[in-house]
Amino acid sequence: MAAQDRLTADTFTRAERTAPVPLRPLPLLRVDGLSVCYGPHEVVTKVGFELGRGESLALIGESGSGKSTIARAMLRLLPSGGRATGRVAFDGQEVLDISERGFRPLRGRAIGFVPQDPANSLNPVRTIGAQAQEAAALLDEPDRAIRKQLILETFAEVGLDNPQRVYGSYPHQLSGGMLQRVLIGLAILPRPALLVADEPTSALDVTIQKRILDLLTRLQHDLKISLLLITHDLAIAAERANALVVLKDGVIQEAGRTASVFSSPASAYARKLRADVPALNPDRYAALRDVGFRTFKTGDTAAPKIEVSAVTKTFTVDGKTLTAASDLSFTVPAGTTHALVGESGSGKTTAVRLLLGLEQPDTGSISVAGEQITGRSPAALRSAWRHLQLVYQNPFTSLDPTWTIERLVREPLDRFKVGTNKERDERVLEALADVGLGRHLLSRKPGALSGGQRQRVAIARALVLKPEVIVLDEPTSALDVSVQAGIVEVLLTLQANLGLTYVFVSHDLALVRQLAHTVSVMHRGRIVEHGTVADIFDDPRQPYTKSLLESIPSGGAGVAQATRARPRVTAG
Amino acid sequence: MRGTYLSYAAKRFAQAVVVILLAYVFTFVVVSILPGDPITNVLRDPQNGFSEDQIRQIIAAQGLDKPIPVQLWTSLSNFVTGDLGLSMRSSRPVTTLIAEVLPSTLILASAAFAIALLLALTIAYGTQFVPKRFGQGLLRGFPSLFLSVPNFVIGLALIHIFGFQLGLFRVIAPDSFWATFFAAIALGVPISARITEVLIANLDKESEQEYAAVARSRGLGQARLFARHLLKPSSLPVVTVIALAIGELLGGSLITETVFGRTGIGSLVQRSVSTQDLPVLQAVVSLAAVVFVLVNLIADLVYPLLDPRVKLIGGPRVRPTTADDAATATSAAVTS
Repeated sequence: MAAQDRLTADTFTRAERTAPVPLRPLPLLRVDGLSVCYGPHEVVTKVGFELGRGESLALIGESGSGKSTIARAMLRLLPSGGRATGRVAFDGQEVLDISERGFRPLRGRAIGFVPQDPANSLNPVRTIGAQAQEAAALLDEPDRAIRKQLILETFAEVGLDNPQRVYGSYPHQLSGGMLQRVLIGLAILPRPALLVADEPTSALDVTIQKRILDLLTRLQHDLKISLLLITHDLAIAAERANALVVLKDGVIQEAGRTASVFSSPASAYARKLRADVPALNPDRYAALRDVGFRTFKTGDTAAPKIEVSAVTKTFTVDGKTLTAASDLSFTVPAGTTHALVGESGSGKTTAVRLLLGLEQPDTGSISVAGEQITGRSPAALRSAWRHLQLVYQNPFTSLDPTWTIERLVREPLDRFKVGTNKERDERVLEALADVGLGRHLLSRKPGALSGGQRQRVAIARALVLKPEVIVLDEPTSALDVSVQAGIVEVLLTLQANLGLTYVFVSHDLALVRQLAHTVSVMHRGRIVEHGTVADIFDDPRQPYTKSLLESIPSGGAGVAQATRARPRVTAG
Repeated sequence: MRGTYLSYAAKRFAQAVVVILLAYVFTFVVVSILPGDPITNVLRDPQNGFSEDQIRQIIAAQGLDKPIPVQLWTSLSNFVTGDLGLSMRSSRPVTTLIAEVLPSTLILASAAFAIALLLALTIAYGTQFVPKRFGQGLLRGFPSLFLSVPNFVIGLALIHIFGFQLGLFRVIAPDSFWATFFAAIALGVPISARITEVLIANLDKESEQEYAAVARSRGLGQARLFARHLLKPSSLPVVTVIALAIGELLGGSLITETVFGRTGIGSLVQRSVSTQDLPVLQAVVSLAAVVFVLVNLIADLVYPLLDPRVKLIGGPRVRPTTADDAATATSAAVTS
C-alpha cells in the first residue's frame, strides 16, 4: 500500500522531470506567497523563498515571528485551526492542496523534520528502537533485523556512543543532546532530500549545540541534503546557512545570500537583530559595566560581599555518591557581577542552592553581605534573605498565574513587614519603574505579559526589598536575543545606580562576556578556572574553557576576523 | 530495577492486606454499635419456640456473651481462615451462600466490564477519526449521555425492546445468553462513560503533543499513530479510572440483578438487608472490600510496567531532597 503510494509519487516526479527543461534548475523547495491564519488572525503574510538542492537556508526571527509556523505549514503539521494559503512546491510538486494521502509518501522519505524540543519529541512510553523502526519502515527493506542494523549504523553516524543501548532505552533515560542526535538520526535515516530543522539546538548546551550543528552541516554535505534551518540566533544562521531570510511578525524583512545580509544588513530590523547578539557585540555595555570595574579596582577588598570557601556537597542517588559541588571557593566584591559558567550537570544549580541556604554543604562556609549562610536553619536564614534574592530561570513558570503583578511584586514586602501600607505601595511602583514597567500593569496577571515583561516583574520582585545581592539563575535563557538585550540593560543599569552585587549563572559565555566582571568556569562540580572576564576570554588556560569558548557561534569566518580585530577589554 | 519492583510489590501487597483487615474491623464495629439486637430478636421470635435457657445456651455457645473485643478477635481470626460463620436465617454457611451466587455476578460483571471497555475504545477511537462534519460532536456527547441515564432505565428499556417486542430472550430465564448480554449492557454503559471521558480527554491531549507531530512527520498515518503512539500514554490514567469503575460495577450489579430478576450477590444483599442477616452482610461487605483493594492493588502493580518513567519508592536508597537535585545529580551522572 505504502509502496504503491511511493510508486505513484515517483512516477509523478518523473513525469515532471520530462517536462521542458527550464532555463535554470528547478529549486528543490519553492515557497510562494505563503500565508498562514489561525481563524481571522494572520500570523504569516505572503512569504516566499527558494532553496536549491544541497543548499542551506535559514529562517531567522524572534518567537512569534512565524518562522516555526512556516516550517509546520510546509510539513502540513499545523495544529488544528491553522490554515495555510499560497504555494509550496517541493521538487516541482504542489504540497498544500494535495490530499493527506497524497502527501504522506513525501513525509520522512523526501522531507525530514528535526524538532525543537528533544525532550518532548519522542513518545515517552515507547523505546527509542520502536520509534526508530517507524522511520526505518520508510526504507524498502522487509527484514526487520537488517532495518535494525541500519538504525544502529545511523545512530553511530550521528555520534551516539552506544547505539545498542540507545536502541533499547526509553527517552527519559537519555540526555537532551543524545535525544537530539536520535531525532536527527531518525530524520536522515530514510535519506530525505530536504531536512527541516526547527531550532534544533535551542534546548541544548553550547558545546553540544556546536557538535549538533557540525553534525547537521556534515550530513548536509555528505548526503547532499538541503537544509532549512530555523533559528532565533543570527550568529548560528550566518555560520551554517548559504542564504538568510529575516522575519518579523510573519513578514519577511530581508532576504539574500548570507554574506551580504549578515555583514551589511539593509533593514533596520536585521541591524537590530545583529546588534542584540552578544557574541557579536562583546563590549556593548562596556560603559555601564565599567562602573562595576571601578569599584572592583578601588573597591573594599577587605570585605567582599560574597565569600564562598571550600564548599563541598555530595548527594547519594541509587546508592552511588555524586559530588555536585567539590571544593568551591570564590569571592565577589560589592557592586560587581560574578558569573558561574558551565553546562548542565556542572553543578551550577547546586552552587545556587548552597548560596541561598536552600541546601547545606557537607563542608566549607558561605557568607553573604556579612551574614553566615552555612549552618543556619531556614527560619534563621530569613534575615539573610532580605539581602539576598533570587531571579529564577523561567519567567513562564516562576510567577503564580492567578496573582496580579501588584500582588506578586508586593509579596516580599508583606512577608517581611516592611514599612506602612502606603510605603509598600510606593515601593512597588518604584521597583516596577526601575525595571522599566509602567503602573498600568499593576492589575494585570502574568498571562497578559510577554516573556520579557514577566522576567522584569521577577526582577522587580527581587528588587523590592532593596537587597544587596541578587542571584540570577539563567535569567534570559528562556527569552529571545532581543528581549534578552533589554533585560541585560536593565540589570546593568540597576547595578550601576544601586551598587548591587550579582551572581550570574549561565551557560552562555557570550552573554557573560557582555556583563560580568569575574568568572568561575564550572565542570563536573568543580571550578576549573576563574579570573576576570578578560583573563578567561582572552587567555583561557584550561582545555575545557577553550572548548566552551570555541563553541560560541560567531557568524562564520568573515565575522571571526572582525571579532579578532577588536581591541582587548582591560579589567580596570 | 527488578529488585526495586519486587520490594515495591511486596510493600503494596502488605498495605492491601492491612486495608482489608481494617475494613473488616470497621464493619464489625459498626454492626455491633448499631441500635437493636437482631440476634436476640431472631432467637426470641415466638415461632422458633426457644426457651430462655436454650437462648442462653445458644448465646454462650456462639460466644455472644463475651466482650466485644473478644468477639471481634474470634470473628477476625475466623475471617482470616476463611470461615464466615452461619447465616442467621437459613443456618447454612455464609461461604456456601456466597459461592452459590458469586458465579452469576462474576459473569455479569466481567461481561459488563468487557462491554464498557469495548464501548469506550470504539467511541474514543471514533472521536480521533470521524471528521467534525460527520458527527464527531455526537460521539463526544455519548459519555455525558451514558452517565445521565441510570442503569435501571437502560435495563427496563432493553427488556422492553429486546425481551418483549423482539422476543430475543425470555424474562423468566434470566441466565440465558441474551438475557445476560443485555443485563451486561445495562450495567456496562454507565461504567463505560467514565472510562470514555478520560480516554478522550487524554487522546486529545496526547495528539497535541510534539511527539505526535514528529511521528506524523515520519509518515505515520492516523490509524498507526493512534495504535502505536497515542493509545498507550492515554491509557495510563484510564487504569486508575478502571480500578474505580470496578467498584461501581459491584454497586450497579445490585440494581441490574433486581431489574433482570437474576440471582446474584445483589439479590443476596437485598434479602440479607431486609432480614437483618448480619453474618451475610458482614461477609458481603468484606468481599466488596477485598475486591476493591485487589483491583487497586493490580492497578498499582500494572502502572509501573506500563509507564517506564514511574519511579518506584520501596528500595532502601536515600532519595535526594528535591527534584532539582535529582535532575542535577542525574545529568551530572550522564555527562561524566
